Amino acid sequence: MTAYVLQRLALMLVTLFAIITLTFFLMHAVPGGPFVSDKMMAPEIQAAINAKYHLDDPIWVQYLNYLRGIATFDLGPSFKYAGMSVNEIIAQGLPTTLKVGVLALICVVSLGVPLGIVAALNRNRWPDTLVMVIATIGVAVPSYVIATVALYFFALRLGWVPTFGLDDWRGYFLPVFALSGFWISFIARLARSSLLETLQMDYMTTAKAKGLKPGQILFKHGLRNSLIPVVTVLGPVVANLITGSFVIEQIFALPGIGRHFVLSITNRDYTAIMGITIFYAAVLMVMIFIVDMLYLVLDPRIKYREAR
Amino acid sequence: MSQPLLSVRDLRTSFFTSRGEVQAVRGVSFELRPGEILGIVGESGSGKSITCMSLLGLLKSNGKVIAGSALFEGEDLLQLDDRDLRRLRGDEIGMIFQDPMTSLNPTLTVGEQVIETILRHRRISRAAARQRATELFELVRIPSAAKRLRSYPHEFSGGMRQRVMIAMALSCDPKLLIADEPTTALDVTIQRQILALLRELQSRLGMAVILITHDLGVIAETADRVLVMYGGMVMEEAPVRRMFARPSHPYTRGLLASIPDLRDGTHQRLTPIPGSPPDMRRPPAGCPFAPRCRNAMAQCVKALPPIYEVDAGHGSRCWLHHAEAPRVEGINELVPA
Repeated sequence: MTAYVLQRLALMLVTLFAIITLTFFLMHAVPGGPFVSDKMMAPEIQAAINAKYHLDDPIWVQYLNYLRGIATFDLGPSFKYAGMSVNEIIAQGLPTTLKVGVLALICVVSLGVPLGIVAALNRNRWPDTLVMVIATIGVAVPSYVIATVALYFFALRLGWVPTFGLDDWRGYFLPVFALSGFWISFIARLARSSLLETLQMDYMTTAKAKGLKPGQILFKHGLRNSLIPVVTVLGPVVANLITGSFVIEQIFALPGIGRHFVLSITNRDYTAIMGITIFYAAVLMVMIFIVDMLYLVLDPRIKYREAR
Repeated sequence: MSQPLLSVRDLRTSFFTSRGEVQAVRGVSFELRPGEILGIVGESGSGKSITCMSLLGLLKSNGKVIAGSALFEGEDLLQLDDRDLRRLRGDEIGMIFQDPMTSLNPTLTVGEQVIETILRHRRISRAAARQRATELFELVRIPSAAKRLRSYPHEFSGGMRQRVMIAMALSCDPKLLIADEPTTALDVTIQRQILALLRELQSRLGMAVILITHDLGVIAETADRVLVMYGGMVMEEAPVRRMFARPSHPYTRGLLASIPDLRDGTHQRLTPIPGSPPDMRRPPAGCPFAPRCRNAMAQCVKALPPIYEVDAGHGSRCWLHHAEAPRVEGINELVPA
């Protein structure tokens, strides 16, 4: 088992290396550069800037230099935010993004799963229909629509919550709601169909034939088996939520890292693109690894063996 | 004759589907005495499993018992509320299912699945329940019982899993064991072992058994008495020896004729029963077997025959037993010995 874990960790490093390499060369293959879009610049200034950021070095020299930085966890200086390193950009935005993301995750798990269970247990009756109608809307309507409509009603018309920022605790409501809405709906639908499938299994009839009480049957025999697909999805969902969302952070003017995903690309901020991508990839890989470990707890049929 | 343990009267069960009402069980009656092994035989869709699922309230949500009574030790199972029924299930009445590969929960140890049944019905400590589970595993001959309690179902073979199911069903000393096709999903050699085990446990523990199967060989080896079901009804009922020696219903005769006989060494072709079972959404007004019956008469299509008592404890639902019916050799005319 230890050998397997070590092997997985090694594989994660290899994957990360591949992602870094691919992103690096793809990024440089795109025309333009960090300082091209700026207002007319004298050629000598342009050359000086390129020399300062080593953009005039051959591409493989830049690549090796970048790798050397990564090895010491240094993601380099930002090309757009003068005087700031990419490490600082992430460190600055992460707390905000994490706070909103973790709250959203709590909502997803504590609302999505129970709603799915309620729907499954009331199949084709009104609670099921209600949950499924809301969940379908939640999956179909984009988060920016939910966010703007909610902003209009609750902040502008009713004045219950501030329109932007997180200075007030009430400021968390709308961003968390907008961020988690899709995933609550998604998880509710998944939990419902998974539980419905489990309820059809022969061992559920066995549990009933043994005289177990409905609560015992549902929680001990039904839930664990039906949660396996939910846990599978939750890994990437966690990675997604705690790395923030460009749209939500933009609409609610939150100083998180989500917006850098998009801004760094339009800015051609090479080091920021790399840093944010590596950060997201690392979080995602760790989450998938955690999910794979959770399988061991949830399903005794799963055993891992190291490859030879 | 002793008081019956279970007395089922005119049981009717239907499934309500989007394509109409499926009348799966249409007036089944039978009695079961303590310690007796009753075989219920019939092809798929004959209503044999649904009959037993109805007794324990284990029908899928679109299934409903429409009429009838089922007195178990004086209590009508069909009138009990959920709570009282749950108290009986797994305690007074144990049940074994067809497919041991899917009937055990894959995420719980087999020991836990037996122990939870005991703890549900008995006020004893977990340690005592574990001890009891170990004894049960020994009883059904699972080797190194104490150790195997900690195994998961996927670590067992099919036959071993069925032994676990039997241990679970017997965990609270039931008075009645319902075995729904207990050997159908198993290899032939394992089938024998499981049947032998069931028979041995039955004579040792003295419970009554309802054995549902489509396999006449299983019936011949195991049962004391047989019900032959077709189209949701009992067609013939007889002690097992009598059923094989003197089948009185054309359907039973057809079933027996379709068993290969290996003894005489001749290569005879099997005699199949032509046609297929009736559509239970529109069950025929007359005898459900009439369309496939070689002895069918005009009367058979018009009206459902009653069960005629052709001998003590031997009933047969066929118009040929009517006093005015034509003589048919083997059914209402004795074959000369």
